[in-house]
Amino acid sequence: MSRAVPILLIVVACLLVLQIIDRWREPQQLRAVYEASQRAAAASERVAGELAALRLALQERPVPLPARGREEPSSGVRDGRPRLGVNFLLPYDRSHLRPELIGGTWRTFNATPKGFNPLLDNSADAGIAHDLVNDTLCMRHPATPDRWSACLAEAVIISDDWKTYTFKIRPGIFWQRPVQAALPGLEWLDRDVPLTANDFAFTLELIRRPEVECTALKSYYQDLASVETPDDLTLVLRWQRKVYTSLSASLGLAPLPRHIYGRHRDGSPIAAEQLGVVFNQHWFDELGGIVGVGAYILERNEPDRLVRFRRNPRHWGAGYHFAAIEWDAEVKLPDPQLVAFKRGQVHTHGLTPAQFKSQVIDRGEPRFAAPDPQDAHAGRRGEFGWEKVVSHSYSYIGWNLRRPLLADKRVRQALAHAFPKERILADVWFGLGRPQRGPVHIDSPYFDPSIPDFPYDLARARQLLTEAGWADSDRDGWLDRDLGQGRVPLRIVIKSHANNPTWDSALLIYRDELRALGIDLRVETYEWKEMLRILEQKDFDAVVGGWQLGDLEPDFMQLWHSSTIDQPRSSNHVGFAHPRVDELAERLREAFTPEERAPIIREIQRLIAEEQPYLFVRAGGGVFVWQNRGPYQPERWLAGVTEGLDRYHPFFNRTPLLWHFVRE
Amino acid sequence: MWAYILRRALWMVPTFFGILLINFAVLRLQGLSLADQLLDSQRGGDAERRVQAADAAIETHLARFRRTGNDLPALINLRGFLTTEDLLAQLAACERRPGYDETARARAEIELWLLGPLVVEPLSAILADERLARWHGPASQALSLAAYRPLLVEDLDRLSVAEQSRLRARNERLKQLRIHHRNTAEHGFVTDDPQAERKRQELLALLREDGSEFARRWRRWTALLLETGFCDFLSKLCTGRLYSETRRAYAFAVIAERWSVTAWLNALAILIAWAVSIPLGVWSARHAGTLGDRAVTVLLFSLWSIPSFFVATLLLHHLCTPTSDGAAWFPNRGLSSPDHLWLSTPAYVLDLAWHAALPLLCLTYGSFTALSRYLRANVLEQLHSDYVRTARAKGLDERAVVWRHAAPNSMITMITLGSGLLAELFGGFVFVEYVFSIPGLGTLMLEAARQHDAPLLMASTVISVLLLLLGILIADILYAVVDPRIRTRYG
Repeated sequence: MSRAVPILLIVVACLLVLQIIDRWREPQQLRAVYEASQRAAAASERVAGELAALRLALQERPVPLPARGREEPSSGVRDGRPRLGVNFLLPYDRSHLRPELIGGTWRTFNATPKGFNPLLDNSADAGIAHDLVNDTLCMRHPATPDRWSACLAEAVIISDDWKTYTFKIRPGIFWQRPVQAALPGLEWLDRDVPLTANDFAFTLELIRRPEVECTALKSYYQDLASVETPDDLTLVLRWQRKVYTSLSASLGLAPLPRHIYGRHRDGSPIAAEQLGVVFNQHWFDELGGIVGVGAYILERNEPDRLVRFRRNPRHWGAGYHFAAIEWDAEVKLPDPQLVAFKRGQVHTHGLTPAQFKSQVIDRGEPRFAAPDPQDAHAGRRGEFGWEKVVSHSYSYIGWNLRRPLLADKRVRQALAHAFPKERILADVWFGLGRPQRGPVHIDSPYFDPSIPDFPYDLARARQLLTEAGWADSDRDGWLDRDLGQGRVPLRIVIKSHANNPTWDSALLIYRDELRALGIDLRVETYEWKEMLRILEQKDFDAVVGGWQLGDLEPDFMQLWHSSTIDQPRSSNHVGFAHPRVDELAERLREAFTPEERAPIIREIQRLIAEEQPYLFVRAGGGVFVWQNRGPYQPERWLAGVTEGLDRYHPFFNRTPLLWHFVRE
Repeated sequence: MWAYILRRALWMVPTFFGILLINFAVLRLQGLSLADQLLDSQRGGDAERRVQAADAAIETHLARFRRTGNDLPALINLRGFLTTEDLLAQLAACERRPGYDETARARAEIELWLLGPLVVEPLSAILADERLARWHGPASQALSLAAYRPLLVEDLDRLSVAEQSRLRARNERLKQLRIHHRNTAEHGFVTDDPQAERKRQELLALLREDGSEFARRWRRWTALLLETGFCDFLSKLCTGRLYSETRRAYAFAVIAERWSVTAWLNALAILIAWAVSIPLGVWSARHAGTLGDRAVTVLLFSLWSIPSFFVATLLLHHLCTPTSDGAAWFPNRGLSSPDHLWLSTPAYVLDLAWHAALPLLCLTYGSFTALSRYLRANVLEQLHSDYVRTARAKGLDERAVVWRHAAPNSMITMITLGSGLLAELFGGFVFVEYVFSIPGLGTLMLEAARQHDAPLLMASTVISVLLLLLGILIADILYAVVDPRIRTRYG
């Protein structure tokens, strides 16, 4: 009996706890049901509205849609290469779209951006969202960065010695209706608003307002003299001077919805003088919204959990094949992400070099097909598909040219000869990425393979060092030389970003090679913010760094021009100064056509490769993996990989114009 | 007893503020300086372009710094006491001279621009002094920025429309009245504005008109402690308006979304840690020296020496990764299944237990060692004391001797250990939450630290400090409950 009482008490307590949990869950369940019903109602209403609008539009203006392929045959003039006085844009290309493949949800890992404001939030993740949701006036395919094709603009005429741009905007494009239109008080958003030239003018006005906090963007539009909109579909930009960057700044402009950012939450227009202040903390951003004219509509945005885009049924262009795209932001570390990928929680993913080695090369996961040196596409066959991809970035070791030790070109060339690039790429990066040789990315059409190369050759390195006056005079095993204040050993401290095991291994191999030459290489690693401080104060002999560019069109002012050396936050942190490169870089800024640009770029890359201010190491690359089983349709991923997906797979990062220093 | 509790509780208040003060100071010291932040935003382009861009953006930055309270000195505001001479020295530091260091110069210039309304008086004095004509150009620029009143979103509600347009007009006027000047390495500051004299007079007149707004006779004393970053932080903390710039949301709103997961995992972890450690400790004490006791000690210490993130990763790889037939022992992420709302309550509880099992294991196994080994030592000590011998001599059952006499008297150390447990677990959470992708406070804090999101970090610091203090208070109360000596001392 005495034993029964505590047991009974425990049972009663358990039941009580269950009851409490039950009560606690009830409101959550009710809310979920309510929200689901609201969503369903809003969706059906939206579909009905869209159908009615489509029907109306068809009755009014029956435009035959081009079934497939280009809008019109591309003539010799419309080859996409910028020139004066004619519409040079390639016609908009919808040939990659295969209607039978449209459908399905593409789920992948991506961090949720802190905000989606196209002017204020310039993180890489926000950039991908902008690409999905919005379109630009003209566009370039990453593979052919020197060719522009029509997009929101049907035509552009450049005149007045590259200073005036006249755009003809495509008629009949409508802004997306944001999902926030279902919120109480925001019903006024639920209407069709056409895209006009005024939206672009509005965007440029905001960028140029002093209060608007988009400092990085502002500098591109400093030289913009005026913006005119003679009619709703014509946009004229006039620049003060002829600068090459104005080409991308004009042609790559994306519009902002004036009917949202120009209004208060209640729909009333914002007074002109308040516009800048209100824009910095706009109500639409606080709702986590983004609206564009592009192929995808932002449907859900739950910070650090999920972002979901659905295909815009009324998009004017071709877009991608997925009916919806979801970003999973909950899993943040590489290993848990791989586990989640294997459980089928995402459809595509990217592997780290170490994961590629353990999972694919060493066959740690038999569901990946074995690599086959004969067949680059061998990875497509397994239950999990994999394929190598490239990215528009490169990594390097930068030598501080201010240091007397490294001031001699021959020493730097010797250091390059001592770096076993091929072996390190094969053994440390496991074949991900290719050898980079000069300041122009090897995938750029301007890359010149005949520039000076410094292959692994210790004998040649030793010879160069001897020529430069370095010898082991005190027989302690290390090279030394008199640099004015007694003999100093050739000791180099290389600083790199902490938590990068790949680079750590690469530097260990390099250290051993240099030891054989009598050069003492020491490696120190630092936190990212500390690395930035080190670069700012030029407090290094050598640094490991990386640059990433959205497109492959070279520009040398930011990284290599001597005028930038002593500026705060200079990108020319190695202190490279070469009068001829300065002159050529300035000339390149005023050269617009490929015929003018190619010889200049060829000479610059030759000079820089010869000087070796950087030891150029590796052009970026990674491994893209995807699900090949169950409901997933591999042909959709592959259509994506070869056609469109390479524009925004995890390694391809579209950032405008500037080189970005990345964590290597 | 109550006097004792009150006394302990009152001590928490200065402790709380002390910790906040130190935290705030450390955060301010390690963050990027404002000058660096400002320079950071000007990337690319040639020198001239970047200077232009910095110039164009300065008002933007002023508004942003004002909104975050970053434009104010951290703890003590001495700007009201800056004299004309101090400002002349600062102006001299902004001048380009042969062999100048541009980074240091730019920093000095930006510091001058951010001094705010308290230096309007001395700067006006410089501008009014004919003999200092050389400095009038840069002084007018600094003055126009010191008197600049950025309009923030909350001002649109707070200020009347007339006041808003007055401020806007004044800001515009201030900008127009800057005296153009050049700053070159050969000549230093040279004024090249034909209308310099007119602008100077008008600027002085404009500021004289609003003289009361910039008067600093009394204000400098109140500003000394009140117009500081810390005070600004405290007022925002008390009104719940700590705003996270990177997340575009109020910090407490972000935390409110996340805290519940962490809180209940915490509670369960503590419960399990104690529920396992106490019997284990007592058992070890009773069987001290036996093979079983030694085996347990060795096992516990080897567990203790394996870091939890490592164990978590191992568990994830071996128990959460599906084999080729698609089955896995445990879920790899989150604390409940995606469809948990539609499970029956018992099934929901099982689902929770299934999800929480591995994270809880990783969180608790480390604390078994410390807790149970301390308890073992204490109980052993008690078992050898006289009163236990007396109890045994009295013929008490061994179980009663241990559980009624020895164990409660060993609890004082356990309470001390337990008070720190709350805060300790808070830290241990970070890795486990990361590996098992649980959206709780730990991941939030780590992300905030990575992004240098000071308001969010401070808000979560406040919470963890409160937790720590709460733990200590509970420990203090428990001392009084367990230890009759404390009760008698405080009557």
